[in-house]
Amino acid sequence: MSALLEVRGLIKRFGGLIATNNLDLDVLEGELHALIGPNGAGKTTAIAQLAGELMPDGGRIRFGGVDITGMATAARVGLGLARSFQITQLLPEFTAVENVAVVLQVRAGHSFRFWRKAREDARLNEPARAIVGRMGLAARADIPARDLAHGEQRQLELAMAIATGARLLLLDEPMAGLGATESRAMTELLAGLKGEATILLVEHDMDAVFALADRITVLVHGSAIASGVPEEIRNDPAVRTAYLGEDA
Amino acid sequence: MADTVRRRIALGVILALLAVLPAIATALGKPDLVTLGTQVAIYAIAAISLDLLIGVAGLSSFGHAAFFGLGGYTVGILAFHAAEGDLFLGLIPGVTEAAIVWPAAVGVAGVAALAIGALSLRTTGVSFIMITLAFAEMFFFLFVSLKTYGGDDGLGFRRRSALPFINPRDDVAFYYVCLALMAGFLLLCGRIVQSRFGRALHGIRQNERRMAAIGLATYPVKLAAFTLAGAGAGLAGALHANLLRFVSPDMLHWTMSGDFMIMVVLGGAGTLFGPVLGAAAMVCLQSWLAQWTEHWMIVMGPILVAVILFTRRGLWGLIGGGR
Amino acid sequence: MTLLLEQALNGLQLGVMLFLLAAGLTLVFGIMGLINLAHGSLYMIGAFAAAWVQGRTGSYVVGIVAGLAAAGAVGAAIEVTVLKRLYDRDHMDQVLATFGMILFFNEAMAMLFGRQPLMAAVPPFLSGAVEIIPGVPYPVYRLAIIVVGILVAGGLYFLIGHTRAGMLVRAGATNRTMVRALGVNIRLLTSAVFALGAMLAGLAGAMTGPLLSVQVGMGDRILITTFVVIVIGGIGSIRGALAGALLVGMVDTLARAFLPGLLKAVMAASNADAVGAGLASMAIFILMAVVLLVRPRGLFPAHG
Repeated sequence: MSALLEVRGLIKRFGGLIATNNLDLDVLEGELHALIGPNGAGKTTAIAQLAGELMPDGGRIRFGGVDITGMATAARVGLGLARSFQITQLLPEFTAVENVAVVLQVRAGHSFRFWRKAREDARLNEPARAIVGRMGLAARADIPARDLAHGEQRQLELAMAIATGARLLLLDEPMAGLGATESRAMTELLAGLKGEATILLVEHDMDAVFALADRITVLVHGSAIASGVPEEIRNDPAVRTAYLGEDA
Repeated sequence: MADTVRRRIALGVILALLAVLPAIATALGKPDLVTLGTQVAIYAIAAISLDLLIGVAGLSSFGHAAFFGLGGYTVGILAFHAAEGDLFLGLIPGVTEAAIVWPAAVGVAGVAALAIGALSLRTTGVSFIMITLAFAEMFFFLFVSLKTYGGDDGLGFRRRSALPFINPRDDVAFYYVCLALMAGFLLLCGRIVQSRFGRALHGIRQNERRMAAIGLATYPVKLAAFTLAGAGAGLAGALHANLLRFVSPDMLHWTMSGDFMIMVVLGGAGTLFGPVLGAAAMVCLQSWLAQWTEHWMIVMGPILVAVILFTRRGLWGLIGGGR
Repeated sequence: MTLLLEQALNGLQLGVMLFLLAAGLTLVFGIMGLINLAHGSLYMIGAFAAAWVQGRTGSYVVGIVAGLAAAGAVGAAIEVTVLKRLYDRDHMDQVLATFGMILFFNEAMAMLFGRQPLMAAVPPFLSGAVEIIPGVPYPVYRLAIIVVGILVAGGLYFLIGHTRAGMLVRAGATNRTMVRALGVNIRLLTSAVFALGAMLAGLAGAMTGPLLSVQVGMGDRILITTFVVIVIGGIGSIRGALAGALLVGMVDTLARAFLPGLLKAVMAASNADAVGAGLASMAIFILMAVVLLVRPRGLFPAHG
C-alpha cells in the first residue's frame, strides 16, 4: 500500500541553519501518525512545508500520488490536505458557527456569489452548527471567536480543519496551552476522528501521543531518527537518549 | 438591539433631511446648499467604494483618487471631443449622453483598477499602501502631461451629460440624480457585503492566512473587490465632472486619495453608511472652516490626528454604539 | 556624449538625495513598523530652515546646520507627541495620522513663509564648475552633494554593519519582538534611529535648497518618489534603499533628459515633447511596476 503522504529528502535552510535535514516520512492512509521531537527539532517548519506556507530548498512531497512540492496552500486544500495551527488562527469577529460556515463556503467553491445573504444561508449554517456541536461547543456556538476561552478556541481551530473535509489533516499541537481536563477531552475528540481522516499529529503531550498514534516518527535536528509503532519507539535506545530520556 | 434602533432612526432622519434639502435651501435663501449636498452625495459614492476595500476587505488602498479621476476625465474628454467634433485617438467620437458616457466612465475606471490591482495585490501591508499611492501618482502625471486636455489647468466643458427628461442646467434635478445613485450604490454594496463574497472579504481582513489555509485563493477575491471599488469611484468621478463641468489632475492628486480615506475612517470603516457621514462631515467642515481663514488646513490636520489617536469607530460608531 | 555623462552625474546626484531620504524612512519602518508620511515634511522643514538662516546670516554652512537642527528638533517633537502612540496601531491609522501632520506642516510653512518660493544660494566656495571628466564641466555644488551622499552611505554602512548599535538595528529590522524580548531598550533605539532619519531628511532638504525652489509642498512629491525607491529596493533594507535610490535617480533623470528627443525620431516634434514629458514623469512608476512583477518584495528585502 503506497503512502497517502510521501516525503523524500526534504531540505530547508535558513541562512546557515538547516531546519529540515533530508527528512523522509510516510503517512499511510487511515492512520494517525504522530510526529514528535524535542523543541527546535523542526516540527513546525516541516508542517509549514507540508502545508505549503514554506517552500523547501530540496526534496519532494507527494500527496495521493500527486507532486505537491511547489503547490500553494489553497490548492493543497483543494486536493484534500488541510492543517490546524499551533497558535490559534481564527476569524475573531465571527461567531464559532460563522467560522465553520466560512470553511464550508470555501469548500463549496462559492465565494463569488454577490447577492444572497450568507448569514441566512441554511445550506451552510446547518452543517456548520452540527460540526460545532460535535466539538462540544453547541452552547457557545453564537459567541464571537475572540470571546471564547482558550480551550474552546483550540476546539474551534480543530473544527475548522475538519470542516474542510480533508483526507489528510496536519494537526500542529492541538493541545497547546490546554490544561489536563481539556487535554483529555481533546484526546477523545481526536480518537473519534480516527476513522474519518488520515492524521499527521504534531504533539508534545506524550500521554496523548501514545494513546492515539498508530505509528510515530521522531524528529531530531530536522531529520527522522526513528519511525515505527509506539512500542518500537518507546524501546528505541536512540530515541530514549535523544528525546524520551530527558522527558518523564 | 438598542444600537440598531438608534441607527435606524438616525438613518431615517438623515435620509429625510437629504430628501428635502433643496426645499430647505430655497427656504433659507441659500441655493449653495444644493451644490454642497450634491458634493456630499458624490463623495459619498467614492467613500463607500473605498470602504469596501479599507473597511471590509482590509486593503488599505491609498490610490483611490486615480479611479475617481479616470471616471471624471472619461466624461471630460468625451465632452471635449463632442464639442470639437473630432475623434478621441482618432477612433472614438465624442459623446454627451449620460447613458453612454457614465457607464463608459465606470468601465474605464474598472479596467484601470483591474490592471493596478493585479500588480499591487501581489504585495501586502505597507508595500501595498505605497504602491497604490505610487500608481495613482503615475496617473496624475499622465493627465498633467496631456496638454490637449488642459494639462495642469484642467478641462472645462459647457454642458452636463444629457439625461432623459432632465434639464442639464437644473441643479436640483441633478442633485436628486446623484442622491438616487448614492442610495442605489449604498444598497448594492450592502447586499454585496452580506453575500458570500462579502463574507470572504471579511474573512480575509480578519485573518488572510487562515482563509488560505481553508482553501480560498485570496488573490482573485481581493482583485474582484479592488476592481469593483475602482468602478464605483469611476462613477463618482463622472458625477463630479458633471457637477463642476470641469475636470483637472487635482482629481487624481494623492491628497484626494487621502481625503477619501479620511471620509471612510472618520465616518466609520466597514459600516458603509459611515463613509456617507464622513463625506458629509468633511464637506461641511471644509466649507465652514474656509469661511474663517484661508489657512483652515492648519486646523484640519490636528483634528484628523486627534480623531485617529483618540477615537475607535468613527462617527457612525458613536451613533450606533458599536458594530 | 558629454550630455549623457552630465545627465548620468545628475542622476547620481538625485539618487544620492533620494538615498538620504529613503534610508531614514526604511529604517524606521523596518524597526518599528511605522510608516511615516511626515518624513517629507522634515525634508521641507530642513530646506526652509536652511534657506531662511542662510538668508539671515549669509553663511551656507550655518544654514545647513540650522536645517539639520530644525528637522531633528521637529522630528523629535512629533515622535514624542504623536508617533510613539502610533507604533502599535495598524498601518492605516499611521498613514492617516501622519497625513494629518503633512496638512498641518504644509499650512504652517505657508503661514510662516508665504506661498512664494524661498531662494537659497549656492555658496561661493562651492560654486562654479569643474572638469572631473575631461571635456565635461560639471557644477561643483552637485559634485559636493554626491560626495556628501557617498560619505553618508559609507557612514551608515559602517554604523549598521560594524557597530553594536548597528547590529541591534539590523536585528530589530528582521525581528522586532525578539530584540525587545532580549531586553534591549527598544524605545531608545527607536528614538535614536528616528532622530538620525529626521536629520538625514533635513540634510537632504537643506542641500537641495539651492538647486530647486524651496516651497510649500516640496516634501510631498519627493515623499512619493522615496516610496517608489523603498518599494523597489525592499523595505527595511539599507542596501535596498541605496540600490533603489540610484536606480530611480538614474531612470528619472535620463528619461526626462532623453525621452522627448528619442521620440522625435518616430513622431512629430510637438507630440514628441508632450508624450515624452508625460512618459518621462511616469518612467519610475513603470520601473516600479516591472520590478514588482518580477520581485514583489523588492530587490534586496531585509527579511530575505
